[in-house]
Order: sequence, then structure tokens, then C-alpha cells
Amino acid sequence: MNAAAYYFVDTMESEASAIARGLRRRDPDLLDRLIEQYQHRLLRYLVYLAGNRELAEDLFQETWIRVLERGHQYDGKHEFSTWLYAVARNLTIDCLRKKSPLSLDEMIDGLMQDELHAPLEPADTRPMAWEVVQQHEQAERISAALVGIPVEYRETLVLRFQEGLALDEIAAVTGAPLGTVKSRLCRGLNLLMSRLKGA
Amino acid sequence: MTRNAHNEARKLIALGEGFSDVQQAWLRAHLDECEACRHYGEAANRVVHALRSLPLAADSRLVRATQMRVRFHASRLREARERMWRVGMVCLGVGLSATLTVPLLWRLFAWMGEWAGVSTMVWQSGFIFFFIAPALVVGVLLLARGTYLTNHGERSRQWR
Repeated sequence: MNAAAYYFVDTMESEASAIARGLRRRDPDLLDRLIEQYQHRLLRYLVYLAGNRELAEDLFQETWIRVLERGHQYDGKHEFSTWLYAVARNLTIDCLRKKSPLSLDEMIDGLMQDELHAPLEPADTRPMAWEVVQQHEQAERISAALVGIPVEYRETLVLRFQEGLALDEIAAVTGAPLGTVKSRLCRGLNLLMSRLKGA
Repeated sequence: MTRNAHNEARKLIALGEGFSDVQQAWLRAHLDECEACRHYGEAANRVVHALRSLPLAADSRLVRATQMRVRFHASRLREARERMWRVGMVCLGVGLSATLTVPLLWRLFAWMGEWAGVSTMVWQSGFIFFFIAPALVVGVLLLARGTYLTNHGERSRQWR
């Protein structure tokens, strides 16, 4: 690795260590900063995982409460975002399990069924110029197609292409082996493309 | 070209990373020859680009509400930790004081038993009762207080 890469890796590790230290102290200023920094990414992930914006907003708050309570578990050796997504994911699963005590597979199937009847709302409903309207329509089509594919594929696509996580980071978040993540990514993308073609 | 080659190419296109230089070179060569896989790659790129530009943002009210809630919870956790620390210090103090005073009290009771002419069993029982009586009284009082507060709380809820 050359000097620039070393510097980059070193800076990243320092930031992660600083976050780990701050979380152990339950530093409120650090938590405020992290909430602002990760607000869009975390909400986006939760919306596509839970399939419901209202539930996602509740889970957003609960995720940060859990980060506060369990911050000592973050060791600072990996990216904070990876740990944050894992916390959010586990919380979503716990929440959905409380609502209906099904197995995880049944829950995932149930989520897919619910989401087909409750499509996501677009983020912005103001009057727009023609180009923006077109983009908005495309966004609606993509959202509808995304919500229509099984949650394990959707989650992988969102983490990979929206949140920009590497494959091993996705494996760490979801607890699935790397091979499974690769398989889900390929099949998820194929499913999404076929749904968009059919739309 | 075999079906496996097309599947392999599409798999590599979907992954986008984590494969070797040999695989990259193979993929480039395959895409040069295979129009179907090239179209697949272009379609996949369009979908990925669209996924990346999906508009979904957090509301500033949600962020502020979350920050306030987290701060409030953090202060409660801090207070609980300080309370536990104080309780811990008190327990430590009581433990140390008991360690110092127990031998002296034991000798005092022994002397009182001898002076009063009572049997060893009697003064030893008296010592044990003297030792646990304060804790028993406090325990009963706290239990009564807890029961009263619980009943009082239930009655208030019934009246609403």
C-alpha cells in the first residue's frame, strides 16, 4: 500500500476509534453529530427493509436509542456504518417478531405480502418541471419494483447500490456468508430488472 | 459460447467488484463478443444508476426529535449510573464498618451474656437478632411503601 492509502486507512481507523471512545462515554454531542451524518442513509435503509415509512421512522429513533445503550459493543475496528446497519437490522427483526411471532422466513414472506398492498410514498409531492416529473415517475417505478422483490434481495441491493457497502460489509451487517450475499445480489438485480422490464 | 459463460458474465457484472484481473480480462473479452451480455450490462448499469438516485430523505423534525430523545435517555442513564455508584459506595462502607464492628460487638454480647448469667445459645441468638433486625425493619417498611404506592397508583388510574 502506498503512503496515501496508508494515510487514508489510518484516518478512517482514527475516526472509528474516536467514535468508539465517544460511544463508550455516551457523548451526547457525538451522538447528535452521528444522527445528522447518517440520517438519510439509515432512514433509506429502514424504509426499504421495513417496507413502510411510518414504521421506518419509529425504528430510526429506536435504532439510535439502542446505539446509545449498546455503544460500548462497538469496538472501532470496522466502519461505524456497518455496525449501525446491523443494529438497525436486528431491531427491525425484533420489532416485527414482537408484532407476529413467526419464523424469520415467514416474517420475510409476510413483509413482502404487506408491501405489495402498501407501496412506499414518494418523498416529494411539490409541483415540478417536466424533467423532474419524469425522474419522479422513474423513481416511483423503481421503488415499486424494489418493494415487490423479497426482502433479503431488496436489503442486499439497497446496502450495495444505495449505501455503497462492500460485499464483506454487507455480509457483516446481515450475518450471511459472503457467497450468500453474492448470490442474493445477482438474483436480486435480475429480479429487479425483470420487474422493471415487465412494468 | 456456453450457457455457463453467459451466466458467469452476468454474475460478474452484477457483483461489480471482488474479482481478479484474470476474471476482469475474461469478462471484457466476453462482452466484446456477446451482444446479449453487453445489453444486460448496460441495462444493469441503468438500474443501478436509478437505484443510486432514488430520492428518499429524512425529515428535519424526525432528526431533531431523535436527537432530543437520545439526549434525554442519555441523561437518565447517567443518573442511574451515578445512583448505582452511590449505592455501591454505601454497600462498601457498610461492609467495611461491619467487618470492623462485628468482632467488638461479639465480645460485648459475650460479656453481657456472662454478666447476665445466660447461656451461650441465648446471647448468640440475641446477637444474631440484633444484627439482622435493622435490615428486617427497613425491608418491611420498604415493602409496605411499595405496596402502598402500587395500590395508590392503581386507584388513581381507576378514577381517570
